[in-house]
Amino acid sequence: MTFGPSMATPQFKIEVDHLGKRFDSDGPALPPVLDDIQLKVAENEFVVLLGRSGCGKTTLLNIIAGLERASSGEARVDNRVVTRPGAGKGMVFQQGALFPWLTARQNVEFAARNRGVPRGERGLRSAELLALVGLTGAQDKYPSELSGGMQQRVAIARALALDPDILLMDEPFGALDELTRIEMQNELLRVWAARRKTVVFVTHSIWEALMLADRIVVMAARPGRIVLERCISIMRPRVITDPALLQLHKEIWEALQ
Amino acid sequence: MTRRARGLSGGQWIAQYASPTLVIIALLALWEVAASVGWLRPILFPPPSRLARSLYELATDGYPEGVTLWVHFGITMQRILTGYAGALALAVPLGLVIGCVPLLDRLTVPVVAFSRSVATLSLLPLAIVWFGTGEGSKMFLIGYGCFWVMLSNVVAAVQQVDPLLIRAAHSMDTGRLGIFTRVLLPAALPRMFAGARVSLGVGFMVIVGAEMIGTIKGLGALIMEARTFYRNDITMVGMALLGVIGMLIAVMLQRIEAWLLPWQSRERR
Repeated sequence: MTFGPSMATPQFKIEVDHLGKRFDSDGPALPPVLDDIQLKVAENEFVVLLGRSGCGKTTLLNIIAGLERASSGEARVDNRVVTRPGAGKGMVFQQGALFPWLTARQNVEFAARNRGVPRGERGLRSAELLALVGLTGAQDKYPSELSGGMQQRVAIARALALDPDILLMDEPFGALDELTRIEMQNELLRVWAARRKTVVFVTHSIWEALMLADRIVVMAARPGRIVLERCISIMRPRVITDPALLQLHKEIWEALQ
Repeated sequence: MTRRARGLSGGQWIAQYASPTLVIIALLALWEVAASVGWLRPILFPPPSRLARSLYELATDGYPEGVTLWVHFGITMQRILTGYAGALALAVPLGLVIGCVPLLDRLTVPVVAFSRSVATLSLLPLAIVWFGTGEGSKMFLIGYGCFWVMLSNVVAAVQQVDPLLIRAAHSMDTGRLGIFTRVLLPAALPRMFAGARVSLGVGFMVIVGAEMIGTIKGLGALIMEARTFYRNDITMVGMALLGVIGMLIAVMLQRIEAWLLPWQSRERR
């Protein structure tokens, strides 16, 4: 038996420890955006942060992503304090945030280049990922030529091109119509089954949370805090009429009031 | 380019090219008739047939004698392009820097807004004192007009880049230089091109005035010289030629834009 770094392998992929966030512009009278948040996410777990707008769920996601700084406490990934983006984290934004001057394939290649994929392999890697998200025919289209759902597929492929352990998703299907949204949820689960990742997914849709999550973390605003956590062990694909889900829906609904 | 290549049906082709041409021909015909029956005084409104003869005279003998249309055309083109290119060469890098550094922007906003608002031609007397009546003062005036317009457009272009795109690039761990060259620049390009077009328009407004002094060459000088001798026909031909140059450069810019910004032209389609 050796006492190498492997012994230090953390039990959790992401740990959020007594994390608080206050914007300087808010002033001391307002309650903090995030107050003493405690959250642990296991490797390959699918966690959904659920709450009304203003409850700090996106801020929490941004801090885990390294896009924003915590005011107190810390977020750790693989036992290391997060100070900046990168290092195994891929992010998907609500509006896709694709670069409009690049085609679908070039958008994915942008990320592959950042990951350090040699120039000659980027094309192949991108084509592979676009095929994974079901976009083989539209590789050379610009984002403006793609529907909202297709843009989000590209955004997911782009995040995957970073080859991350963690996928951070900020209301990625929030701007889509309901049918496309359900379709995209199933797509995401399919992709997640093919490429296991730790996922932190932000939404304000209870049903979306119920369909996707291993664990739902319900948050409330002013101060931003966690008010309820529930694990869901029901097999996917889940059906909306499942009595256990209906029961959970009721419980979460009440927690959100 | 053939109709098919542009993807236009017969009806669209007529709507886009044939009908406007007919309107122009009809207007010219009306003008000609009006002048020949005496509704318009030919000395004030020389008819199109007279203008055609003047154009021919200008192309062969020249006006003033020996300075042909081609000389005027070439000189004006050269002045506009040098002044314009010089203005862009200065305004683009400077605008990028100011746009990227909010503090610099706050410091320079009043200067830019003021300098941009000064009617360029009001600088003509000063320009002559500073740079003489030769090419220098003309370049300066054209450059001045184009520069401030372009500068404020480049600054705005950088500032209007969607911050979400910067965040997205940041989330992919793109470095500072990468964010500038791979995100900020391409994202700002469309607005910068719009600025380049407006700026060129300013160059054209300035050129006629700039050529009024100290030269007999150039379309502006031609127009002034002809005015002095009541050659309204020549003045009109000069005006038309300025219009042609303007259109040529606009088309050129459009081509460059479509080539550099393919995602924009595909959007419009």
